[in-house]
Amino acid sequence: MSALDILLVLLRVAFGALVPLSSVAILVWMERRGAGFFQDRAGPNRCNVMGFRAAGLIQNIADGIKLVFKEDVIPGHIRHKFYFVLAPVLVFVTAILCFAVIPFADILVIGDSKYIMQAIPMDLGILWFLAIVGFGVYGIILAGWSSHNKYGVLGGLRAAAQVISYEIPMGLALVSLLAVYGTVNLTEMAQFQGQLLFGFIPMWGVFLQPLGVIIFIVAAFAETNRTPFDLAEGESEIVAGFHVEYSSMKFALFFLGEYVAMFVSSALIVTLYFGSYQIPWLSTETLVAYARPVVIALMLGLPVFAYLFMAWMKKNNRSHYHRPNDPRVRETKVYVTLLWSLVILLEVIFLGYLAFAHGTAADRIIVALLQIATFLTKTLLMCFVYVWVRWTLPRFRYDQLQKIGWEKLLPLALLNIFITSAVVVSFG
Amino acid sequence: MGIKVKVIERKGKTFLEQLYLVEVVKGMIVTLGHFFRNFLDNSKLYVRHYPEVQPEITARWRGRHRLTRHDDGTVKCVACFMCQTNCPSNCIMIEAGERHDGKSEKMPVRFDIDLLECIYCGYCVEACPMDAIRMDSGIFSVTSDNREAMVIGLEQLLETPGAFDEEQYQKGGE
Repeated sequence: MSALDILLVLLRVAFGALVPLSSVAILVWMERRGAGFFQDRAGPNRCNVMGFRAAGLIQNIADGIKLVFKEDVIPGHIRHKFYFVLAPVLVFVTAILCFAVIPFADILVIGDSKYIMQAIPMDLGILWFLAIVGFGVYGIILAGWSSHNKYGVLGGLRAAAQVISYEIPMGLALVSLLAVYGTVNLTEMAQFQGQLLFGFIPMWGVFLQPLGVIIFIVAAFAETNRTPFDLAEGESEIVAGFHVEYSSMKFALFFLGEYVAMFVSSALIVTLYFGSYQIPWLSTETLVAYARPVVIALMLGLPVFAYLFMAWMKKNNRSHYHRPNDPRVRETKVYVTLLWSLVILLEVIFLGYLAFAHGTAADRIIVALLQIATFLTKTLLMCFVYVWVRWTLPRFRYDQLQKIGWEKLLPLALLNIFITSAVVVSFG
Repeated sequence: MGIKVKVIERKGKTFLEQLYLVEVVKGMIVTLGHFFRNFLDNSKLYVRHYPEVQPEITARWRGRHRLTRHDDGTVKCVACFMCQTNCPSNCIMIEAGERHDGKSEKMPVRFDIDLLECIYCGYCVEACPMDAIRMDSGIFSVTSDNREAMVIGLEQLLETPGAFDEEQYQKGGE
């Protein structure tokens, strides 16, 4: 192994492990501020360090510190302490592991060697995801059972029944997807989606499988225990369900696990149905061939975007009441300075690339970075859909939940398989 | 014609509504509209920036209690125990003493209100024959970090000024 090989292994593993973790901070922030804006209120925006509130992100630090320093209670009535502690670990670890097979850029070619941009470069792909995500529910069941608590057991049972009934339509939706793509490898699936249908529609899963995408998204919502399918928590009837006896960092692990699972399932939905890292109409080879115009377009687009962002910030980041010497205006000034220095830094990097590194391996690296950015943007947009749904739809009743799973989604998924296989067989 | 009967149309039976997906999308468009309205201009949020911007209190608002005085500065209260008798939560404790200023025979030597017990119903104000106890201080936020401080005594009640002028108070707000 050369030094480059080792560096890329480290980078990919770091990406696979750290991105889902740091996404939690973004997602919690998005959830709370988003909920505020959906409901015409502000959300947490007061926490600050020296007057800097980072749009409410500082609240996460405060929450984290609180959770770390809270008393870690294991109630006296719990007999199986090992399983009680194991449960949150299981939920969290499985959630993180799922992300390991998701490609975040096209295969990187540097010199003669090829690097598959996944944390664990293997061919199992979607099968790995199905195996691991099914294992995650054991954590919830274990938590409910070992809590030795009525509500806990009820929550755990609900989660088990729900995940079993929704794994079937999810798996069946995947079957028809596999018939279309002809592979289980996620990187190959992503490459497949870089083609064009009839020469002008990007061959994304959402255009090839319009019914499948609905089934899959609904099932994914149920798998991650998010509203409208969060009956395992059901705070109005069973307090908090499976995590009712958990406190401090053990609760935090459940919480992190839930958000990581949400991020991972968004990443998977994007990978399977929304073109993964592909930028529509610009395949990897096109991007590499036209690296110079793409970079010039980026250099022109960046200041425009920064200007719009600055205008938005100046309009919104000020006190909406009379306040002499408004500290929020001062805060905005610092942010604007930071923003423009970042823009200048990026422009210098791009200029350096155009002047010195153009036409070398840097082309491929720039394209890979662009694809990573695309992938993350798409994934965060999908996470926004999760938040959006949560603050729009009320929770289903339990019998309705099972009815939708077995009586609606299952036949639809089977129908989808028939249609898809008929089309695939007749048109090759 | 008998009693007017209004038949309310049952919704949710048509095929499109049974499909649920269309209604979901409709609802999501509504909430997204709210999101973008607030996201693009957060001065449109329906919130009061509370500690900095205080709510407007009208004269008929029942805030923390106070005891009033005559124009010459003597205490109006005659320790008749009307308020204590009327109080549904038993939060008023009066101890009567002899009075020497010639206004009447009795006056309170102790007048404690336990604000943790008080339900702010205003019956004490209605019961008072002397208009001695009022809830027009405009204080709506009563907090403390220990129980003892939540019991306020005669001195504190007499010190608290009214937040409104007499005419406004008699009118009972706008």
